Amino acid sequence: MSEQLTLYFHKISPFSQKVELALIEANAPYSAYQVDFRNKPEWFTSKVNRVGQVPAVTYGGPNVNPDDPSPLSTKIAESNVILEFLADLYPDSGLLPKDPVLRAKVRFFINAITRHVEGTYFDFLRGNESLDNALKAIEFIQELLEEGSDFAIGNHYTIADACISPHLARLKIVTETDMGNFPVGTGYKLGEELKGPKFAKFKKYAERILDRPSFKKIYDEEIIIGYFKRIFTDRVQ
Amino acid sequence: MSEQLTLYLHKIQLALAEANAPYKAYQVDLRNKPEWFTSKVNPVGQVPVLTYGGPNVNPDDPSSLSAKIAESNVILEFLADLYPDSGLLPKDPVLRAKVRFFIDATIKHIEGTYLAFVQGNESFDNVLKAIEFIQELLEEGSDFAVGEHYTIADACISPHLARLKIVTETGIGNFPAGMGYKLGEELEGLKFAKFRKYAQRMLGRPGFKQIHDEEAVIGYFKRRFTNRIQ
Repeated sequence: MSEQLTLYFHKISPFSQKVELALIEANAPYSAYQVDFRNKPEWFTSKVNRVGQVPAVTYGGPNVNPDDPSPLSTKIAESNVILEFLADLYPDSGLLPKDPVLRAKVRFFINAITRHVEGTYFDFLRGNESLDNALKAIEFIQELLEEGSDFAIGNHYTIADACISPHLARLKIVTETDMGNFPVGTGYKLGEELKGPKFAKFKKYAERILDRPSFKKIYDEEIIIGYFKRIFTDRVQ
Repeated sequence: MSEQLTLYLHKIQLALAEANAPYKAYQVDLRNKPEWFTSKVNPVGQVPVLTYGGPNVNPDDPSSLSAKIAESNVILEFLADLYPDSGLLPKDPVLRAKVRFFIDATIKHIEGTYLAFVQGNESFDNVLKAIEFIQELLEEGSDFAVGEHYTIADACISPHLARLKIVTETGIGNFPAGMGYKLGEELEGLKFAKFRKYAQRMLGRPGFKQIHDEEAVIGYFKRRFTNRIQ
C-alpha cells in the first residue's frame, strides 16, 4: 500500500536537507531529484511547485520519472509542512512523539528555529542584525534543550532535530571561516562565544546531532563553503 | 490584555469553541504582569499561553505540575491532538498537509506582508499579491479553507479577516492616507470574490461573533496607528 514519494532538493538548501534527514531517520523509501537552480526546468515550476523552490515533494500517483511528474500526484511544499507530513505518514517512526504535550514541545522548538535561527541569525549573516542579538537567539534555543540529551526533545530523533541540523552545520562553517556579510571577524567572535561555558549545552547538542550517520550521508561541506563564497560578497563595515 | 494580542488569543478560542472543548480563561494584565505569571507560567511573559493537566487550581495560582504551552499556532496543533475527532485537523495526511500549508501561508502573507502594510512598511501591490496567494488556496464555494470541516486553518486566519475588514472600512493604519479604502475597493472587485465570500462566512459564524469585539479593536487601532507614512 506504499505510495511513491519523490523529493525535489538541492545540496545547498538547508530547507531541503531538513526533509532528507527526516526521510532517512524514518527509513522511508523515496526518490530524490536535485533541481538545477541555475537552469531551472520549466516543468518544475509549472508542475511541482509554483513558487519554484525546494524542498517540494510529490506523493502518490503513478510511478514516473522525477523529471516527468504526473498530474495525479499530490504536491506539497514548505519544509516544515513536509516534515509534519512525514510524521503523519510514519506515525511509529518517532519523528513526532505520540504524547500531545511532547508533540507541542517539538513544535515549539521548530517555531523557535523559524523565529530565532531562520529569522534573527539569518539576519545576522546578512549583516542586518547584531552579534548580541544572534547570541540571544542561540541562547533561546539552548534553553529548550534538555541537559545531556542526544535529541532536542524526548528520547528519539524528531522533526525538531531534522529542522535545526542543517543550520547547525552552516553555523559551524561561519564560525570557522568568518564567511558572512557581518563585519570582518564577527564570525570568529561568534565561534569564540559558543566555545565558552555559557553555551556548552548547545555546543554538545550540535556536535552529537551532526555526528549522526544520516547527517554525514547527505552533507557535503565543500559545496556549502563554495556556495557561501559566492553569496557573501557584501560585508557591512 | 493588549488588543494586539487578542488576535492570537482569538485563534485559540475559536478552535476551542469549534471543538466544544472545556477550558478556563484568565486575562493577564500585560502592563502589570503578575510575578506568578512570569515565573510559573511563561518565562517569556507571552500570551496566549495554555496550562494543561496538573491539579485543579485557580488560574492565578498555577501549579508546577501542569504543562505550559505557548505560541498560538503550537497551541492550535495541541488542541487538534487533544481532540482528534473534532475535525480541527482532518485524519488524512494529505489534507492535514493542506491545512498546515494554509497556516504557513497565513503566517507569511498575512502575519508577514499584510501586517507590515498596516504598519506602513510594505507596498500596496505586495499586499494584493499576498491576499491573492491565500485566495488561490481556497476551494471554490467551500465553507472552509480546507476540506469539509472547520479546521485550525480557519481559526488561524479568521481574527485577521476581522481586522482586515476594519482597516478597509475605517482607513485606519500607518499606510498613506486612503490606502485602506483602496484595499477595500480592490477586495470588493470580481478578482477577489472567492476570498471575500470566504471571509464573510468566517466572520458570520456564531463562534466568531461571540468573541469579536469590533469597537474594542477599532479603539485599539486608533491608539496604535498614529504614524502614517507619506
